[in-house]
Amino acid sequence: MNPTDGRLVHSRVVSDPGRALETALDRRLTGYAVLEPQETLLLGATGRGLLALRDGLPQLAYYTGTGRGGPEALADLAEPGPYSVELYELDAERLPDADARPDRRVSPVMPAERLAGDPELAARVRALAPDDAPTGDGRPSAVEAFLADEEKIAAIRAQARDEARTRAEEWGLADELE
Amino acid sequence: MVEAFAVASGKGGTGKTTSTLALGMALADEYDVTVVDADTGMANLLFHAGLADVETTLHDLLVADADVSVSDAVYRRFGMRVVPCGTSLDGFAAADPTRLRTVVAELAADTDVLLLDSPATLASRSAILPVVLADRVVLVLQPTIPALSDALKVEEYARAYGTGTAGLVYNKVRDPDAVERIAERGAQYFDGPTLASVPDSDAARSARRAGEPLLAHAPESDAAAAYRRAAANIDVQSGESEAVADRFRSAVIPDSP
Repeated sequence: MNPTDGRLVHSRVVSDPGRALETALDRRLTGYAVLEPQETLLLGATGRGLLALRDGLPQLAYYTGTGRGGPEALADLAEPGPYSVELYELDAERLPDADARPDRRVSPVMPAERLAGDPELAARVRALAPDDAPTGDGRPSAVEAFLADEEKIAAIRAQARDEARTRAEEWGLADELE
Repeated sequence: MVEAFAVASGKGGTGKTTSTLALGMALADEYDVTVVDADTGMANLLFHAGLADVETTLHDLLVADADVSVSDAVYRRFGMRVVPCGTSLDGFAAADPTRLRTVVAELAADTDVLLLDSPATLASRSAILPVVLADRVVLVLQPTIPALSDALKVEEYARAYGTGTAGLVYNKVRDPDAVERIAERGAQYFDGPTLASVPDSDAARSARRAGEPLLAHAPESDAAAAYRRAAANIDVQSGESEAVADRFRSAVIPDSP
């Protein structure tokens, strides 16, 4: 999966991955979406998420930071954001064959539904990929992979705990804290 | 005897209001239930409960020189007492969260279960207020990564204020097997149990259009059955009404929103 084989057609910073997926779908992009979280919950967890798409529909996912593919790559890519996004256009025949990389395979709707949590976008994808089905090979879903990452979950909770206390001070609610 | 629940989610679109009314109706079989639209900035419970045209709402109780009593904004509907909130920006601008506390204290004195339909954000002190004041939160979420992240955050905020977790309602579920696995794996992180997995349902959308709670509009639907299971899984721990009322009254909430 090498995005730089393609032609850069879009580059910006977005608040959540759903916007990148939406732009790729609007353009019916064949090529790559490269998403790079600008902040990560864990130190040293930096990396880039690569999605290979055909006609705007995701087929493969890979995360450079962990070397994992498929649903696990989507879980690794999940960060609070924002994300820098680059879209690269590529001739369809130069994209990797999705069937040849089952370890990186994702169902087209999975990124919109599970990573972005955007039901409207997921419905649009589903309408274009009516045969969409879970990968069904017994692998955990992106959400399960996310929940399996105890370190990341602990970081989310610790950050929320700190934020709750800081904001309570700001809001004059410190006396209400336990 | 009353227990106050904040029905909460970290983001919008999870079906929180549908869930609040559905849980309220199901709990009303056993308890005296009061439902309050505590989402004073983005109120929509009135549209779900056929109360869009009522004259007096929570907003009228929250203005500085309110000349209406709390009972004027209480409507007996669907076996519950329902306190809707208005939708005008003027009403929201004039509303004072300090008064919400007093209003809720008065309602708490005369009910078994108080359900607060809470704002879908944690970003302001008026938004966090229902979570601060409730005994426990009910988290409504979809089985997605951002929704689970948000639910974890809400639970941490709640915990910071000594508010527990009554449980999780997975809503708008399209793949029940996947959600079963997700709920099982998520259980280690949350303080409360999974109350139910509610299927994605045209009945819920149809109920919203009809201005009726799901359990009144489509009581035989799978989604309604799931909400009844969720309600049955909530172990209501009624405290002394006066203790809850005191807590609402004594909470120190700044005057400005």
